[in-house]
Amino acid sequence: MLRIVVVLAGLTSLVGAAVAHHGWGSYDAGKPVTVAGAILTSKFENPHATITVRGNDKVWTVTLAPTSRMVSRGATEKVVAVGRDISAYGYPSTVDRDEMRAERITVDGKTYEMR
Amino acid sequence: MIDEAHAIFVALEQSHFAYAIRQSVWLYPAANIGHIVFLFLFASAVAVMDVCLLGGLAATAPARLITRARGLAVAALAGMLLSGLILFSAEAGHLAVNPVFQLKLGLIAAGVVNIALYELLAKRELLKIAPGAPMPTRARIAGLLSLLIWVGVAACGRAIAYF
Repeated sequence: MLRIVVVLAGLTSLVGAAVAHHGWGSYDAGKPVTVAGAILTSKFENPHATITVRGNDKVWTVTLAPTSRMVSRGATEKVVAVGRDISAYGYPSTVDRDEMRAERITVDGKTYEMR
Repeated sequence: MIDEAHAIFVALEQSHFAYAIRQSVWLYPAANIGHIVFLFLFASAVAVMDVCLLGGLAATAPARLITRARGLAVAALAGMLLSGLILFSAEAGHLAVNPVFQLKLGLIAAGVVNIALYELLAKRELLKIAPGAPMPTRARIAGLLSLLIWVGVAACGRAIAYF
């Protein structure tokens, strides 16, 4: 019985430590942004493809979709390759000011849905 | 000390192994699906054992019920460890500092401690109990804790993506 109490006390302190770390990492759908410019880096990887784009104001990290979805929508590795011009519409991160999550991207006049 | 520990996870994330996982179109999703399927099997087996410890399913002798469910639980847990290692490696540096992931690992540790306490303190008595006989209090506590802990682990697993 005593040991069970010790386990419960340990659990409670774990919860406390975890909550103290930081809050929700989410995206602000109320302030959509469009980032247009050249792709500087491209990682066609799971769990999400990510690119960096030189926008008007700064270099944005743009989080795209899982690679299998990218491929099935036609947004292959070549479409989001380094050097290509892209326009990404999406929502800025509330945690990292330079990151946004793309709802859709447009490359060479063609639009690809990411969700 | 914490930085040094974190460097290990960053190194894992940058390893060829983790790179191959991220590059593969199917491996990460397959591990993701596998993790959920193994969770489902694990939760089923654990639920049978915990409900038994709480006094349910009393028509069958506890020893018989628990021995059968245990094999499935252990196999499913092994599958979750393997698929979980694949998922973790791909993003090790980030996950290691994710508060919900840390909580999840803490809960898993608590679940294992709960199993060990059950083995040490309740199992011998329990295996002799006849069908329909009342469960000892320590067995009920172990069953209730197990249910709460593993449901918490599952909830944390889903919540990692939101922190």
